[in-house]
Amino acid sequence: MTLGQIAISPVFPLWLIFLLLSLGLGATIFQYWLLRKRLRSPRAAVLSLLRLGALFLIISFALNPFLWARKEQKVTQSLAILLDTSQSMNLPGAPGRGSRLDEAKGALLDGPMPLLKSLTERFNIKLFGLGESLRSLETENLGNLKAGGKEGDLTEATEKLAGKHSMVVLLSDGNLKWKSDFSRRLPVVAVPIGDPKGYQDILIKAIQAPAMAFRGRKVVIDVTVKGYGYKGLTIPVHLKEGRKLITAKNISFNENTAEITIHLSFTPEELGSHHLSIGVSPQFGESLTSNNTVSFSLKVMKDKIRILMISGCPSLSYRFMRMAFKNDPSIDLLSFVVLRTPSDIMNVPLQEQSLIPLPIETLFAKELKSFDLLIFDNLPSHLYLKLTYFESIREFVRGGGSFAMIGGPFFSDEGRYIGSPIEEILPVRQFGREDYRRDASWRVRLSRAGKDHPITRLSPDEAYNLDLWEEMPPLDGINLLVAKNSGTILLEGGDGNPQPILTVGQYGSGRVLVLATDYSWKWYMGMVAKGKDNWPYLRLVERMVRWLTKDPSLDSIHITLPEKGRWVGQEMEIRFKVREEDFLSGRKGVVSLSVLDPQGLKIKSQVKTAGPRNEYLGSFLPEKEGTYTLKIETPTSRLEEHLIIASPTEGLDGRPHPERLKTISADTGGRFLSSEDDLLKEIETYAEKTESRFIELKSSPLWGKPYSFLFILVLLTTEWYLRRRWGLL
Amino acid sequence: MISRRGFLSLLALGLAQGLFLPKLSLCAPFPQFFFTQVKYRGGEWDPNPQFVEAIVEELELRTSIDSSNERRILTLSDPDLFFSPFLYMAGKYAFEPFTPQERAMLRRYITFGGFLFVEDTMGAKGFGFDQTFRKEIKEILPNQELKKLPPDHPVFQTFYLIGNIGGRQKVNPYLEGITIDNWTPVIYSQNDLSGAWAIDKFGKWVNDCRPGGEAQRSSAFKLGINIIIYSLTSDYKKDLVHHPFIKRRQNL
Repeated sequence: MTLGQIAISPVFPLWLIFLLLSLGLGATIFQYWLLRKRLRSPRAAVLSLLRLGALFLIISFALNPFLWARKEQKVTQSLAILLDTSQSMNLPGAPGRGSRLDEAKGALLDGPMPLLKSLTERFNIKLFGLGESLRSLETENLGNLKAGGKEGDLTEATEKLAGKHSMVVLLSDGNLKWKSDFSRRLPVVAVPIGDPKGYQDILIKAIQAPAMAFRGRKVVIDVTVKGYGYKGLTIPVHLKEGRKLITAKNISFNENTAEITIHLSFTPEELGSHHLSIGVSPQFGESLTSNNTVSFSLKVMKDKIRILMISGCPSLSYRFMRMAFKNDPSIDLLSFVVLRTPSDIMNVPLQEQSLIPLPIETLFAKELKSFDLLIFDNLPSHLYLKLTYFESIREFVRGGGSFAMIGGPFFSDEGRYIGSPIEEILPVRQFGREDYRRDASWRVRLSRAGKDHPITRLSPDEAYNLDLWEEMPPLDGINLLVAKNSGTILLEGGDGNPQPILTVGQYGSGRVLVLATDYSWKWYMGMVAKGKDNWPYLRLVERMVRWLTKDPSLDSIHITLPEKGRWVGQEMEIRFKVREEDFLSGRKGVVSLSVLDPQGLKIKSQVKTAGPRNEYLGSFLPEKEGTYTLKIETPTSRLEEHLIIASPTEGLDGRPHPERLKTISADTGGRFLSSEDDLLKEIETYAEKTESRFIELKSSPLWGKPYSFLFILVLLTTEWYLRRRWGLL
Repeated sequence: MISRRGFLSLLALGLAQGLFLPKLSLCAPFPQFFFTQVKYRGGEWDPNPQFVEAIVEELELRTSIDSSNERRILTLSDPDLFFSPFLYMAGKYAFEPFTPQERAMLRRYITFGGFLFVEDTMGAKGFGFDQTFRKEIKEILPNQELKKLPPDHPVFQTFYLIGNIGGRQKVNPYLEGITIDNWTPVIYSQNDLSGAWAIDKFGKWVNDCRPGGEAQRSSAFKLGINIIIYSLTSDYKKDLVHHPFIKRRQNL
């Protein structure tokens, strides 16, 4: 014990203690003055000093003196053992050790002195599995542990473990997410799993493809292919739609480990969703072949709606419709007006004529597919079109093109369409020669279907829409037709026996429309004559075009598919919105979602409202890879979409990456071990270096000790004895 | 062609004019093409009463147009005006000014897609009808001007490629017109085309064509057909697909 080990912790304020000491000193001096009257000075001084000593000791107890001592203690370390359980751990490990997960388990459990057991004896051990998330493992369940899911996030895991564990022992093939600049560093002792030298694989590492493209415009897809162990190999990378090859490009691996980026380009010609895949053929010796292909969807849209319109004669019907098309910047119109028929005379030389030949062969045999919509406007087509062109038109519509016929005296072409491919695709039947009537004014009204149909629903307000159509001027000429069962009448005219005026239908993948009048322009000028606006006609024409060409803006249901993370085993959430008009129409009813798996079997799905009243959230859990079909139905509409669910191994770079583990251990101040090392010894050695110790401070109060009281007692007893001896008592 | 912006601005104009609009008759059916002639007060509104038959016959013979040789006569306050594919107005002499209602109707008809062909049949410049019409059209469309139509205007290319302007008289070697965007809703001639078209009940020409004679009459018919087709097809001949053909033929 040294004086330096004594410390005080006063129980009263110091000033009070010093005041008491001063008072004690004063009292002792006073006592000395009294004693001097009866004793000699030395004796009086001895007695006063004894009393002063006792008094000082008693008062000094208020200073609470204590003796303190330092003692260094060691802490038993808490180690987190992280076992990588992501899907790459299913791949073969070091030769003869099964999968990488088996190899890791063997490193922990095998041998006469299993590493896990030895570590448990030496440290506080906690076992974790690191897959898509960090989860705690029990030692006894280690044998049944299986690998799966995407690569784990070690940065996130070490953040969770920091503060609870002093270090991490990581058994992994290195396929992990790691941020080198991560600030909360927990030392990671990395044990590499797998054999990078013998690994052979080719994978589509990444693709950069647009989700949407425009028809007729080149699409470029960047593809990054990585190869391990195939130096000198040349293989084609192909872009396919289903089994149909779209394009391919050769790549050559010049190094044993090579990463090559190529650009595949093609020009989509067909609208709609295309399910494409980019891949390379499996090669001999590949460790993993399911990462040779990447699937994706490409939605091909039109940048402009291309319309081919052929009019049988100049008319106001043509002029007003042309005006409506030309006012819409999204429409690209190519129109031909038959200005003279073969029977009309032409009494001037060629250089005085502006007439051009109708390029029938080019239009109908070659270019038809480049249009979205074909319109026959009061066209006596037998004068210009052969039967084979009718067949081209039928195939055009069957394949998704749109066809509209506008009425007039030549509409039915004197009955020549009867029995032709044109009649087959139309939603109406024609009577033949005498079907055109210009002998009365035909007032039109909305049919039941027309009240809700996007073409004739010119205003979201149902009552206002009815009023608008009530107000439309009557038509001076119509074609008498009968709607087929497949046709939907939207507008009808006449009393008693209503005639279909506007009828729509579907043929194959295409849409068809018949407007059985050449006087629709009166809906424009008639409203102008009444001092009203001309927009109903313009909107009607616009909506006819947009409905025919399946413009998404007229879809009753709008769907938002998840853009990322479409993996097997991951819940998919689909948001969809029902058009406001449908929601408000009072026929909202039940909105349903059906999901069909790649085999066409219906799987479990859920739908619930989300946020605004006409928005919904659907969900389902895909259990296998492939193209899923989503069907959304409302009482008034139906939508079908497709969603590609990828294999968990798509894009997986399964090569062991010990160099990544080296980086991780270097970043964290940990250690990178090799499989040849004595893992227990190495871990213990490293743990000792990082062993944490702490200093324990012990204090013992001095005043509470018996010798303190004995000393006071001795002082007081000696004083008492001397007083007696010296005759004061 | 009237742009979207044009429509919106005209909408406001139209609403303002709505108060002047009388009730539509909407009784008789309207053929796809027929002449509607404007009957106005004062002057001589019908200088060539027999012009329709010959031009409609030529139209039927030479073109595919579904036409009627009926001539409807309307005043500018008649709302059936709006269902006229081709509004025709002719005269020789000064006429009484249009009423505000008539001006509003004609303005609405022209600006919302109607077509007006006007003829001064006097055979000389700057006389009564010419003066009054120019004044009236300025009142009706104050922001627009009658301008000479350029030789490559679609009206000269809709059916025939026209280099010479025909008519009963050769007053102007050009047509005038008011063009709004790409559409010329008002075309004005001083060559008396209808005078060249007119035939009597025996099928003889009512007027001689001077100084060009029958060639000038032939040109008048060609121009008449072009104007009618223009009224039904607008600037169709300005579509790109026609360009190389027209250019090649003009160079022949």
